[in-house]
Amino acid sequence: MKTFSLPIFSLRFFVATLFCFLSINNGFAQPDGEALFKTNCTQCHSVGKGVVIGPDLKDVHKRRPQDWIIKWVHNSQTVVKSGDKYAVDLFNKFNKTVMTPFNLKDEEIKSIVAYIKTESEKAPVAAKGPAAGAEEKKGGNTFLYLLIAAVVLYVVIRMVSRVQRAMEKVLRHRHGLPEPVPVKATKRFVTWARNNKKLVAVILIVLFVLGNVKGWYLLAGIGISQGYQPDQPIAFSHKIHAGDNGINCKYCHFGAEKGKTAGVPPANVCMNCHKFIKEGSITGKEEIAKIYKALDYNPETQTYGPNKKPIQWVRVHNLPDLSYFNHSQHVKVAGVECETCHGNMAEEGVANQYAPLTMGWCIDCHRRTPVKMEGNHYYDEYHKKLLAKFGSDSLITVERIGGTECARCHY
Amino acid sequence: MSDKKYWKGIEELHNDAEFVRLKNNEFFEHLPVSEQLEKKAQANDVTPRRDFLKFMGFSVAAATLAACEAPVVKSIPYVVKPEEIYPGIANYYASTFWDGYDYCPVVVKTREGRPIKIEGNELSAITRGGTNARTQASVLSLYDSARLKSPMVNGAPSSWGTIDSTVTAKLSEIAGKNGNIRILSSTIISPTTKKIIEEFSKKYPGTKHVTYDSISYSGMIKANSESFGIAALPSYRFDNAEVIVSFGADFLTNWISPIEFARQYGEGRKLNDGKKKMSKHIQFEPTLSVTGSNADKRIPVKPTQQPVAIANLYNEVARQTGGMAIAAPDAGELKNEIMEAARHLVAAKGKALVVARSNSSAVQNLVNGINVLLESYGNTINLNEANLTKQGDDAGLKNLLAELKEGKVSALFIYGCNPSYTLPNAEEFNTALKRVELTVSFSDRNDETASNCKFICSDHHYLESWGDAEARSGHISFMQPTIAPLFGTRQFQESMMTWAGIGNNYHEYLQQNYADGWQAKLKDGVYQKQADGASSSIKFSSGVLTAAATGISSMQPVGGMELVLYEKTGLGNGNQANNPWLQELPDPISRVTWDNYLCVSPKDAREKGWNNNNVVTLKANGVSKDVPVYIQPGQTPGVVALAFGYGRTNCGKVADNVGVNAFAFARLTDNGMTYWSPCEIQKSTKDDYMLAATQMHHTMMGRAIVKETTLEEYIRKPNAGNPPVVIPVHKGHEEEILPPNKVNLWDSFETPNHHWGMSIDLNSCIGCGACVVACTAENNVHTVGKAEIGRSREMHWIRIDRYYSSDADPKEGVKPDTGQLKKMEEPSDNPKVVFQPVMCQHCNHAPCETVCPVVATNHSSEGLNQMAYNRCIGTRYCANNCPYKVRRFNWFQYDGNEKFANVNPAFHTNELSRMVLNPDVVVRARGVMEKCSLCVQRIQEGKLTAKKESRKLKDGEIKTACMQACPTHAIVFGDYNNTESELNKMWKPEERSYHLLEELDVQPNVFYQTKVRNVEPKES
Repeated sequence: MKTFSLPIFSLRFFVATLFCFLSINNGFAQPDGEALFKTNCTQCHSVGKGVVIGPDLKDVHKRRPQDWIIKWVHNSQTVVKSGDKYAVDLFNKFNKTVMTPFNLKDEEIKSIVAYIKTESEKAPVAAKGPAAGAEEKKGGNTFLYLLIAAVVLYVVIRMVSRVQRAMEKVLRHRHGLPEPVPVKATKRFVTWARNNKKLVAVILIVLFVLGNVKGWYLLAGIGISQGYQPDQPIAFSHKIHAGDNGINCKYCHFGAEKGKTAGVPPANVCMNCHKFIKEGSITGKEEIAKIYKALDYNPETQTYGPNKKPIQWVRVHNLPDLSYFNHSQHVKVAGVECETCHGNMAEEGVANQYAPLTMGWCIDCHRRTPVKMEGNHYYDEYHKKLLAKFGSDSLITVERIGGTECARCHY
Repeated sequence: MSDKKYWKGIEELHNDAEFVRLKNNEFFEHLPVSEQLEKKAQANDVTPRRDFLKFMGFSVAAATLAACEAPVVKSIPYVVKPEEIYPGIANYYASTFWDGYDYCPVVVKTREGRPIKIEGNELSAITRGGTNARTQASVLSLYDSARLKSPMVNGAPSSWGTIDSTVTAKLSEIAGKNGNIRILSSTIISPTTKKIIEEFSKKYPGTKHVTYDSISYSGMIKANSESFGIAALPSYRFDNAEVIVSFGADFLTNWISPIEFARQYGEGRKLNDGKKKMSKHIQFEPTLSVTGSNADKRIPVKPTQQPVAIANLYNEVARQTGGMAIAAPDAGELKNEIMEAARHLVAAKGKALVVARSNSSAVQNLVNGINVLLESYGNTINLNEANLTKQGDDAGLKNLLAELKEGKVSALFIYGCNPSYTLPNAEEFNTALKRVELTVSFSDRNDETASNCKFICSDHHYLESWGDAEARSGHISFMQPTIAPLFGTRQFQESMMTWAGIGNNYHEYLQQNYADGWQAKLKDGVYQKQADGASSSIKFSSGVLTAAATGISSMQPVGGMELVLYEKTGLGNGNQANNPWLQELPDPISRVTWDNYLCVSPKDAREKGWNNNNVVTLKANGVSKDVPVYIQPGQTPGVVALAFGYGRTNCGKVADNVGVNAFAFARLTDNGMTYWSPCEIQKSTKDDYMLAATQMHHTMMGRAIVKETTLEEYIRKPNAGNPPVVIPVHKGHEEEILPPNKVNLWDSFETPNHHWGMSIDLNSCIGCGACVVACTAENNVHTVGKAEIGRSREMHWIRIDRYYSSDADPKEGVKPDTGQLKKMEEPSDNPKVVFQPVMCQHCNHAPCETVCPVVATNHSSEGLNQMAYNRCIGTRYCANNCPYKVRRFNWFQYDGNEKFANVNPAFHTNELSRMVLNPDVVVRARGVMEKCSLCVQRIQEGKLTAKKESRKLKDGEIKTACMQACPTHAIVFGDYNNTESELNKMWKPEERSYHLLEELDVQPNVFYQTKVRNVEPKES
């Protein structure tokens, strides 16, 4: 006799597929507004934290229509030149600072606006206190609800199946039927599977697809160490140096404008300040003493000894050897801000890998970012040629000058 | 002095107890693998399948897991950063390459304090930025793992302190009993070093300095002394010479000052900017040399015929110019050639030059006589500015050897030379050496001589040294260290200073001699002293001619075979034999790598039934050696030739037991060193010995791969030899003739900013191979060794094809079905030779790009055919589809591969030696294709510099490695889009410019210039 009821199984199956599709949907997410905002906008804008270089974008969706925002982001000067009053006022208000044009897709800008919208609604809550901390991650809640739903469903299913079994027993007892010989769970499962071949096939196909999708994303993530933040031999805080004390990044990472590597500063650069600053606000003398040790420096007598030992920092950004990256090209020629790739180190503290450093990430930026050609005489003739080709008010992105060709980075 | 050691980690540095325990234990925990396997094996003879699967599964899982975790990489900055060093930015220092044999003022490129590339110093009046293969390769010799890490005493490592006290004590003892102290060195061109030797001699009065060059020019110096009273070699001006006649002098790659002469020669041969004049070059020589292969007319002669020919040439020139005749034997078959050479020489009187490779003063006196009659002195030869790079004194050497034999020498210091290898009677020398009380070698390695010496005071490499060099009187160049000494070596000069008691700081000592503007001089690397006054006039004492004539008539021709010894372009005298780049550089003529061989003329080979790779026993001067045969077109019948530099026994992993030592066949006669001798050859019973050559085909099979014409035709019609290529097509029912680009299917590429290209002038390319080694150094090209080259797997990105002319009718070549194609493959017995450097042609319609299944090779908007190694999956379709065969496949993981440890210890196993790698170019892994990138790393760097300085990119600012290395400026790299560029001026398809295999219309960005020969129409 069949001891399995289809409705209950169907319910189980339904829950399983529900999970699958939810996961897949997560996999094929829309443009990530948060990531886009952080990569492109944070240098000049904040949400609810006041003016940085450009205006605070809190509630921008209430102030301006979405179409206007899209036009503005693509090229603010076109909007200003069109005589739009709001635009002209805004431009004048910010001392005629031109906003960098962004070659973003419309959906991407929309997703940024959506992100700003959620952030704007959150912003006042955040100001109220730490209670809002629980709502840090967007995806976290959905998962929790699903988990609860799953548990509830499981309990219901168990209960229903027990009730059913009890009722069967009662029925058998009433009709004087013998108790069925207990069948092993595995055997029961095999029998069931034989009788429901189509269903099994569907489940297997779904699991296969799901496994592939998950596996694909898992594999694609190998070798990407975004967020890598190893322990360093000295508890150096970028927050104290670049944030609180406002030291320019390029004071220590002086190679950034000159050559290939920005460079970890040599210990003698530390001594420019730490000859006088012998005690830190957080770690006291302990960490600064490590610099002295490396240089074999005696702070009492202010003399250097001969036993110098280099500080062995742990490298955070490990670009593979097969790609050539030059800091000066980006920092000096293109004028890219350090924050674009390294995040806001002034608030971060310990060095970490902010960007994924994948080729896709490089190319995305090259496709989007316009080249700073004006004022650089190298580009004089080339710029004219490009404007003639692409139209005088078009954006000359890095891609358009061949910035996505193989041999620009791989040789 | 440095006592640097290299540790694998901090634990090793501290020598922790735990580290010591684990050091010898590869696996930290006990692994029961062997027991497991053993137990099962006892039970069942075959390895159980389950166990196999278990282990395999475990390995796969372990490997996968290990691969997932990124290793922790350290980033170690300077503690105190030197002001001039920025990580990632190259620094350049002027220095001088001098190893007692080759001289070249250089600019050394360093990255993070390690020298990685050598360029020529353009400020030098002598070389003007030219280099040769040996100079280019010298940077790798710095990282040679065979170099001694410390001084040695009796074969055991020692310290400088011990050595100094022992040697000084011994010297005082010898000086006390008036013992003879001898310094045997190669030519010293450093005035300061000579001063130190003087100081040393003052302190130890029994000291005598003997100069010995492995390849001697002693006879020539003697001749100049007899002829003019000036005991020195003159400097030459090949660029001023309209007619050059050379008797066996390979002045383009080996003779006296080859880099200088190559540049001058190139200037005289160029036909740029509408120039319609070029020098005429006639070469009489026994074996085909690089110089001979560039000659307009080349006459094979035997070594014994050469003096006769020179005497007859003298008489003929004297007859025409009214000079005194001398007695000369009959020239025989050479009569017409000599008459013709004389005619050309006399016609160009005052602009003619005759040179000869001969160490006989009689012969050189005659050459001097000819040059006097031709008024060459003051025009093409300058005796007032002596060339000081060859000062070897054969008589002095002979004396020293006699003294040694008699046991009269108490102390012998050997510097810069390796007599146990380069002396013909090395065994005798070695025996005598054992009787000397104090023997000190300054060799950088435990070489043939050093291993027979009690003390080895290992010298620095030149890139670690201070120094000065006066290669031509009045022209000083400097040497400065570009890296701190890698090992515990000490500079020769400092050792001598210590023992002479004049301090131990050579740097300061040197500086004192050039006090004024030391920094500026050092920065430029070269400076010219003020001339001492008016140049003295040359007086020729014609009495020497009669004596010379007598000397020559006594040189009786020998009946049998004659052996001539020569220097190869790669190894030269074998100083840098342990340098894999030079070993792997194909000989420009034979294209054979990693070996020397007996060059045999095709006629002799036919008659004696010898084939390539047959082993023969060569007997001469009582020495007998087995040598493989190589049939060399152009070789004089009856003459065989063997190259120096090979057959080292104590040089290092790379050089040892490669080839045979030709120095053993040289003779030290009363007239000095003689580099030819009568010989006997017998076929050996040994199996064939495989020679690894990079070119199997010797002729162009009737195709116009290298286009050539004669000067006369070129003047008449600038596109002579370069007719437009056309393709017949159908137009309706008619046939139409169209240029290839009109029948092309492909769209053209846009190159809006730059359009890179290259011009190669076949008229001034001499085939010397400097570009090949430069490219190897710049682009981290792997060395693969003889076995792999034997499988045609060489990795050079640029090759220099050498083609011989064939006597067969070219029309026979076009009908393969008649079976007459074979005939075209046979080079003439004395062929015309052409060289053609071929690298990736960077086609605009590249056949390789269309067949790559993963688009790993594609086109850039600057006209480059770019190759993304990390995208390549190694199908090799591109290499198959490339009409120029310039793509190279990595058959192995050469990098770090023990299998290739003997081929290139520098790249393959030794961590220290990987320091020579260019950090801007990726080291290619197994299974990917690679090829010339037109030095894209230099292009990118050049553009970036211009952008950073906000200015237009200047023409000539970016130079590819091959262009920069070329001594004759035959290679020009540039931008087609820059209308002012030199490249654009070179591109004249209506004159000499053409694309290789133009009929394919792959539209290369590299083009060639037709070769023009200065020959009479009937000769062509």
